[in-house]
Amino acid sequence: MTNQPAISVQNLHKDFGEIQAVQGVSFDVQDGEIFSLLGPNGAGKTTTISMLSCLLAPTSGDALIKGHSIIREQMDVKRAIGVVPQELALYPDLSARENLLFWGKMYGLRGKELDQRTNEVLDLIGLVDRQKGAVTKFSGGMKRRLNIGIALLHRPQVIYMDEPTVGIDPQSRRSILDSVKELNRQGMTVLYTTHYMEEAQELSDHIAIMDHGQVIAYGTHDELIEIVGEADRIDLTINTESERILETWRTMPGVEQITAEDGRLTLLVNDSNTVLPALFESSNRAGVRITSVQIQEPNLESVFLHLTGRALRD
Amino acid sequence: MKILDLAFKDLLRNFRNAFGLVMMVVAPLLISGLLYLAFGNMGGEEGLQIPVTRVQVANLDQPVGGAEGASVGQMLVDALTQEGMARFLQVTETDEATARASVGQEGADVALIIPAQLTERAYAGEEAAITLIKGDGSSIGTSVLEGIVNSFVDGLAGAKVTTDVITEQFAQRGLAMPAGVTQQASQQYAQWSQSLGDTMQSGEPSTIQVVAPAPAESAEPEQDLGAQIMASVVAGMMIFFVFFTGASTAESIIKEQEEGTLARLFTTPTSQSVILGGKFVAIFLTLIVQVIVLLISSRLLFGIWWGTAGALLLMSVSMIVAAAGLGVFVMSFIQNTRQSGPVLGGVLTITGMLGGLMTTGIQNLPAAYATVNLFTPQGWALRGWQFVLAGESAGAVLGTALVTLAWGVILFAVGVMLMRKRFA
Repeated sequence: MTNQPAISVQNLHKDFGEIQAVQGVSFDVQDGEIFSLLGPNGAGKTTTISMLSCLLAPTSGDALIKGHSIIREQMDVKRAIGVVPQELALYPDLSARENLLFWGKMYGLRGKELDQRTNEVLDLIGLVDRQKGAVTKFSGGMKRRLNIGIALLHRPQVIYMDEPTVGIDPQSRRSILDSVKELNRQGMTVLYTTHYMEEAQELSDHIAIMDHGQVIAYGTHDELIEIVGEADRIDLTINTESERILETWRTMPGVEQITAEDGRLTLLVNDSNTVLPALFESSNRAGVRITSVQIQEPNLESVFLHLTGRALRD
Repeated sequence: MKILDLAFKDLLRNFRNAFGLVMMVVAPLLISGLLYLAFGNMGGEEGLQIPVTRVQVANLDQPVGGAEGASVGQMLVDALTQEGMARFLQVTETDEATARASVGQEGADVALIIPAQLTERAYAGEEAAITLIKGDGSSIGTSVLEGIVNSFVDGLAGAKVTTDVITEQFAQRGLAMPAGVTQQASQQYAQWSQSLGDTMQSGEPSTIQVVAPAPAESAEPEQDLGAQIMASVVAGMMIFFVFFTGASTAESIIKEQEEGTLARLFTTPTSQSVILGGKFVAIFLTLIVQVIVLLISSRLLFGIWWGTAGALLLMSVSMIVAAAGLGVFVMSFIQNTRQSGPVLGGVLTITGMLGGLMTTGIQNLPAAYATVNLFTPQGWALRGWQFVLAGESAGAVLGTALVTLAWGVILFAVGVMLMRKRFA
């Protein structure tokens, strides 16, 4: 039992009529690690989390959470997990404390234990001073923190965080990322979904990149980067929309891949030092002016681009 | 235990919602209060208060056949000055010039000129004009006077038809018309016409006497007609708003679905039955609080006597179950709160109207309408509350209460089944 993963997802499928939202997803999350599901909106991350939370029944496949099946042992699974939903799920007309007390009761906490955990969580999320204030008057960041706090009340062994930083200010985002690390430091296993490459890169021990309902890459950050090899990424903009220059660059030695989106070009190249002068030279010849250039080391965005031909922000 | 935690949370939210509280308690009492202010005193000793209209009458008519003979003009004056008219009309007899001059001034609101030889012309079947001169402002009293004069003129026309028929009958039989028959017939017709008018006004036909059965012995204090109507109106309003609260409290399920808290609840180790059960307990508790508050406050504000304790309890419970049942049933078809507003308003208004809740103060409605009332749970609830207000015993109310309860249980069961299916 000790070597058993905290989460073991086995060939999970979910269909909504004709739409195959999740198509045979499998991965393991080891005890005490932070595992990220990285992918663009609509990749199937939230549907996967919903099945792992027992909110949606899988069309086929199964998953074991701390050894309990999401199909046959739902109550055991629910006792083991804490869920931070993507959208805020709070009672706006209750105070922060009343929210925590209510949700604590739903997780089976009572009496002194409930009171103590409520105080601890209020302290953890930094809302002690505002505990009696109605949630409706809270800022977005405060609501996000309370949304996370609710999932921590019953000291879950595993916590799911579904895009917890969407739509908040940088300061609150930093605070949330730090608290995720702190929870993990305390021994909690974290399943984290995001479409922000930097968050997955900063937090995760392992990352599964999802697209169109499938896991298209899986591994540690370094393992994933190896997929694109030594390729550099060059982001540039040009002063005109010219298909001719793109055709020239696609056949240029050293250029592996080019995508164009919203007037911005992204190139994966073997060696930016040799390719970049050639790009300028050919653009000069074609009468096209390069207006900005940015060279990046390979990252998860490059991996996604390499695997799908699209940028992660799609 | 979790059921009560869920219910308590919903109660807390309901009672923090100012709009919800207004619709639960303030609105029914306010509407009843407004109706009370508007019509509540109609059945009292003072009755309906209408300003008295000052009438200057110039009666230029002369009796036919000397001073002892009949005078149509005098009959009209008598009609205007009879007992009871003083509540509406202050009649002063004067000459034509004074009557005409006084209108619009402090002397009179209206002048009535009864022409000379009215009686003679009436008997002869000739045309004659009674003149009514109104002041600037029109009042209810003026309309009453106009109505009386019109009615009187109609009576004269009827009398003419009578004399024509008699004359024709005598002629057909080749008989000579005896002297004074025409006048006698006209007088008799006029008396009959006046008597008929009085009867219609009082609502007590002289040829029919309705004896009400002796009321059952009860603790009901004597209530006048106004208080009885008011009690019916308050009962109707209470039923309407209790059903409204039932539905709007059930709406919290949809609201939680939209807020994301319902999905979050389903991720906690709490079964779906407990979660829905908690919601339903909250609906019942909210309705219980609302009914208690409405019964007590209507007693204190309007002095309504809510019948015997047993009957009151029976109808309260059955109404609450029916209101919760209809609320859950309606909500089980609704997908989001954008739909719920219009659907809720529409369904509750239509079923409330069909159930007779809007017409509780109106007497003698068609029997068919009373039958239609019983096709809605509100109609049965209203029927039950009318028994309660009449001081009936719990035994007498039991049948109606059971039917109301059955409505609630059936609607509730179907609603719960549909909701469980939705959240499965």
